Amino acid sequence: MPRKRGRGGGGSRGGGGGKGRSNREKFRGIEENTLAILENSSTATSHHLLDDRLAFLQAVRSASLVPENGTAPTNKMLEAVFRILKDEDSLDLIVESYELLLELNKRYPRVSLSLEVKSGSCPESEALSKLIVVEEAWCPFRRSEKEESSSSNGELIDSSSFHSLIEDIAEITSSRSCKEEMSRRASEESCRKLDLKSLRNMLLFHYLVSILEGDFIARTQAFKENMNWALLRESILNVILGSRKTSYKDLIKECLSLMCDLCRGLTEFAHDLRPNGSLAAELRNNIYFAVQLTLPEVETRTCNALKKLLLMIMDLDSSRNLADMSDLISRADGVRTPAAEIILNELTYDGDILSPFFLAVDEPDWKLKLVVQFFQKYIPKSSARTRRSNGSASDVTFDGILKCFSNQSISKGVNKKIRAEVTQLLLAHAFKAYLSIASNQSAEDISGTKQDTGAGCLVEICRNIISAFACLQKDNKRCELLEISKEALFTAGTIIAMNPTGISH
Amino acid sequence: MTGYDDPLDLEFEEPLNFPPALANKKKKVIGLDDLLADYYEEKSKVVEREAKRAKKKAKYDSDEDMDEREKEFHDQVDEIEKTMGHLSGDEDAFVWGLQVFGNQESFPPLQVDEIESCELLQCVRNDEVNSMVGLEAQKGATFLEGLLKNGWLLNLVSTRHHLESPIAAWTFYLMLYSPNEVLRRNAYDFWSGVLRLKDKAGNLRIKLNWLPNYHQLKRAIEIYGFGLDVPARLSSDVGMDATGSESPGPPQNIRYWIKYASVCFQVRETWQILSTSEAEDLTFVVITLFLDRVLSGLSICLHECLIAAVSYFKDDEWQASSQKIAENLASRLPNDVNCLRVVESISGVDARSKHLRSAVAFQFLLKCFEKKQADAEEILELLTSTNVKDKSSDFYKMYVHLSLAENWLLYDLLLKNKPVICQMWGLCLRNFSCNISSTDMRSHASKELPSNDQNGDPSPVVRSSSSVKTRLASICPFCSVD
Repeated sequence: MPRKRGRGGGGSRGGGGGKGRSNREKFRGIEENTLAILENSSTATSHHLLDDRLAFLQAVRSASLVPENGTAPTNKMLEAVFRILKDEDSLDLIVESYELLLELNKRYPRVSLSLEVKSGSCPESEALSKLIVVEEAWCPFRRSEKEESSSSNGELIDSSSFHSLIEDIAEITSSRSCKEEMSRRASEESCRKLDLKSLRNMLLFHYLVSILEGDFIARTQAFKENMNWALLRESILNVILGSRKTSYKDLIKECLSLMCDLCRGLTEFAHDLRPNGSLAAELRNNIYFAVQLTLPEVETRTCNALKKLLLMIMDLDSSRNLADMSDLISRADGVRTPAAEIILNELTYDGDILSPFFLAVDEPDWKLKLVVQFFQKYIPKSSARTRRSNGSASDVTFDGILKCFSNQSISKGVNKKIRAEVTQLLLAHAFKAYLSIASNQSAEDISGTKQDTGAGCLVEICRNIISAFACLQKDNKRCELLEISKEALFTAGTIIAMNPTGISH
Repeated sequence: MTGYDDPLDLEFEEPLNFPPALANKKKKVIGLDDLLADYYEEKSKVVEREAKRAKKKAKYDSDEDMDEREKEFHDQVDEIEKTMGHLSGDEDAFVWGLQVFGNQESFPPLQVDEIESCELLQCVRNDEVNSMVGLEAQKGATFLEGLLKNGWLLNLVSTRHHLESPIAAWTFYLMLYSPNEVLRRNAYDFWSGVLRLKDKAGNLRIKLNWLPNYHQLKRAIEIYGFGLDVPARLSSDVGMDATGSESPGPPQNIRYWIKYASVCFQVRETWQILSTSEAEDLTFVVITLFLDRVLSGLSICLHECLIAAVSYFKDDEWQASSQKIAENLASRLPNDVNCLRVVESISGVDARSKHLRSAVAFQFLLKCFEKKQADAEEILELLTSTNVKDKSSDFYKMYVHLSLAENWLLYDLLLKNKPVICQMWGLCLRNFSCNISSTDMRSHASKELPSNDQNGDPSPVVRSSSSVKTRLASICPFCSVD
């Protein structure tokens, strides 16, 4: 099924001999030329090295991104760009190579979908989009475990180096938050190096996740249309998770804790340290200043990338579930604990990460799903389920959960098992997720969704959340309401005030 | 590909006339000596071997001739150093960077008086809720901060379909002036959310009593210290004139300034935040931000903003607006390596930014030749007429000219239909490559000239016309040399 991407589309344009062949040849010339920029520099001074590399990146950019009918850079060129991102110590080079790689990936994706609108020929396959994989295209990930034997691939990322990249970022992030305590001597060489290194690692990670994402989203889309599990089985993400070289559970836990660390770091060390006077002036010309201005942006991106990675893994689990129900999963696929389960366990055992986790995961569908799953573990089975339930877990709704909390006896039972603060946090975050879903939905498409979010329902949910919190307080007199609970209550109160009659349908 | 080896040989046989003579020179010459040493270090071993053979010949060269040429070379270097405002030798000649930000002014206060009494805090009429929330009159601002931090504020505002002035102003100032990262991030998220609130039918869902305008944005960046007229200072004097209270800009808030500006560009259809001329000015500001090295890590955000900026304009405005932006840039920025940075920072990924890049390069080129107006042929003639044989010709300038011309021509989509221009450009390049001997030791002559090219000619020293041809053939297919 995978098909080569047509390199043409080019025959029509250009005054010269616009044949695909000559285009290729031309491009080999460009490859030779651009790579030569890098070759010479082994002994040059650092300044020239930097210039040469920047010139090289510019050259790749103008060869492949600028022309409307450009050609993707050759694998050697991409490798060289990737190596710059991986190994360089200059802010300019890191940022430039990162941007270039992202743009190249956007313009020349290795895996993509083509919507083939063939009129007439065969009606049922007409709507199917076709997965196009450019097999020979370069990819920063090692494609299979066997590939490692060839030495030229030493630079490529496999599951273990992916994992250790995350560990590296985590290590520097946690060391930075300690360092913050000491009045940081800005000009300190080591500190600067560390910042630059973590900046590079984070951008590298972000790039890798974007590669995983492009590959995964196209494959998932195709899988949903034709239920061909092989497509997803071959996705880079699945290969990495299935690798025996690294522990899948540890990887998830590492991602989770790093995401929460970053999110906490972004909240707790939030005040700018503004160096004043001559020290500041001295720093102005320092690379330090530039790195400091960039770090928060990069940390935010990393946090988002981690979130994306976790959500993709959970999506992969759902697809796998689907495939399993159709008996498409074979023994070769191995067994894997669903990511959501691992995450929920972590959240249960480490209450500290609850708040940053739910702040970071702002994807409302997943947030709601996770909270519902969390409560489900503690709520007696029969009570949370709606009538149409056929026993599958996904039928429990937020509404159902809220109703349980309004029921004194159930709520008491739950409160024995979960700390009141945790319950509050979860309820508040779930409510917020519910609101986001509701505001994204218009009145007409509510009927089909699992979570009913019409205006009447919204007011209903608001009433229920208020009574759930009231119950919680009644139940436990010493229980102080958290700030976030008060904010949730206030929001619910406002919504009720805005819809006094509670339109029902 | 004739390319790589042959021209290199040509290049290296002769310059090696210099080193033995240099070794005995007085101290002043050592700079040059180092320069050359660096220069040769770059070369491959093969070339070095050839160099040894060449040394023998060097003895026949007269010392006077040496001195003269050396002096000239040195003068050139000096001159460039002066123009560049750098003192540390060849290294800096091609380092871009302008200090776009001076010291920050003091920030305006973040408190908005009426905030405690805003309607939003009063609208809950449910006693049960009120008793649970226990909102005290004086704590209103703190409570609002919580609503902002946890993201409820946007929900509330979209529920009420109304954003009242005190809250609007308060959040806007937090975004631009708060020293607290969480508050400014959430304030930005809030504003970008508010400006994008729409229902499914694309209708506005919200009433704003207070909409921050262009002047507030412009004022903010001035407070951050933005000013192109800040005298360029050398790294050494900055420390001296900074008094205790000043701190150099920009603050961390600049990130949100850039992002918010992008949003303003994007929501033209719904909110008329910027007029066309204001958008032109803001685009100009955004492009100049690329020049400050302090922001080099944020070029990710700047590129996104610039894409939003050029998409702001309507098709019928674009021609005139891009022209104005380009003229403005050319008239206010120096004609040195910085203008190349400006041109290169315009990404050229879409048709609009390609056009802008070409237009900006052309305006700088006009300025270089001190022309108010000229057509393409005229400029190319001027460029071609540069006498490279002339000992006094300034190769640094030529380097800039060539780069500009290349950007101007390569990115101009309309030029495909003008074979005359292409021919002239090819002629011009051939003229340069044939007339500058590879042994030319004037600064930026053989060493820098070709490497400038956008396309980055493989080896800075390869100057054979065939390599230029190869490059041209591959990079600009519309421009066939021959």
